[in-house]
Amino acid sequence: MLFPISQVVINPLLLAIIGFVVGVLGGFFGVGGGFLAGPLMFWTGVPINFVVGTDLAHMTGKSIVAARRHRALGQVDLRLGTLMIFGTIPGIEVGAQLIERFEAIGNVEEVVGLSYVFILTSIGLFTAWESLRAIRIKRTDQLQVREVLGIQKLAYRSRLLRIPPLIRLRVSGVEEVSVWVILFVGALTGVLAGFLGVGGGFLRMPLLVYLIGVPTHVAVGTDLFEIMISAGFGTLTHALKGNVDILIALTMHTGAAIGAQVGAVMTRYFSGPIIRFLFSFLPLIAALLVLLRIAGLAGG
Amino acid sequence: MSSNSESSSRIDPSFVPLMRSLALELAIYGPLVTLYFFIVLRTANDWLTSLYSTSSTAFALVSVILIVGQGAMLEMLTSWLLRRFGLRY
Repeated sequence: MLFPISQVVINPLLLAIIGFVVGVLGGFFGVGGGFLAGPLMFWTGVPINFVVGTDLAHMTGKSIVAARRHRALGQVDLRLGTLMIFGTIPGIEVGAQLIERFEAIGNVEEVVGLSYVFILTSIGLFTAWESLRAIRIKRTDQLQVREVLGIQKLAYRSRLLRIPPLIRLRVSGVEEVSVWVILFVGALTGVLAGFLGVGGGFLRMPLLVYLIGVPTHVAVGTDLFEIMISAGFGTLTHALKGNVDILIALTMHTGAAIGAQVGAVMTRYFSGPIIRFLFSFLPLIAALLVLLRIAGLAGG
Repeated sequence: MSSNSESSSRIDPSFVPLMRSLALELAIYGPLVTLYFFIVLRTANDWLTSLYSTSSTAFALVSVILIVGQGAMLEMLTSWLLRRFGLRY
């Protein structure tokens, strides 16, 4: 089928299948899935200048569906998600400014690529280590609960930071946390998202769990709420630059919308540590894909 | 026999009704999404293509509306249909 905006011929079924796979991952792990959708879209023949914008457009629709489903399951903390946005948006701008600075110096592709590999590998390894520890604790102590953390120190320390205003996150079960900690998480993920050119789900989900002490299921749902807004904003800016093929996005979304619902419902039947353990593979895969791309660049 | 009953008692009681509800919802939502896509493709393909080359602002706004429409509106329509017929878990 011809997609006249980007002037490419692609089998729409293939796009819907890619959407479905990325949708399941997004709904289950609370990530946008751009690390996988981007290369796959490029592989099907979507021109490179349309890949990011079109991916963001389909991500917007998918996140709405998944966030609504998570909300129905009681897994979205709207207060937390809304507050984080105030940190994320300026953070994205700072990240984008950093990119411009590096562009002026040169070698931006390698700097961003290597930072991406380092950060994602660290997140993947740390999450794998912690979740395995949590699974062991859960088994040894025969705990019949959905959430166990292998490391409590970070969330405990962040709660010691009692800079007002302090708020209660009822849905997340957090009694008191400084608004500044939430803004910091939003800003940090925003800077990295703006700098690395990713949605930020990879970073936000673990930070919500480890730094604020949000249960994994709520972190996944709240992350999707955040992605919905940031991807919507990204779609608008990319569309203004002519980088969105909305017909490709709508095709992908036919699969993604269904996949996102399946992924979101699946979270109900997995404990927090298991979700985090499975999640830990995603940043490692993403890091590997970038490493391969850098190796390709180095090889000319 | 006892292990069978033990494992069946361990199954989350919400599993079967929730899966039934999801399957039913997807059976309505899936065709609706596909239908929406084909309607947009059939009726707005040329218009979207010309809008893309003439007005980037209008194209950007329409793009967001279309994707949000496919995401939110159809999901709400499905939920409403399920509630209307008393099929939601």
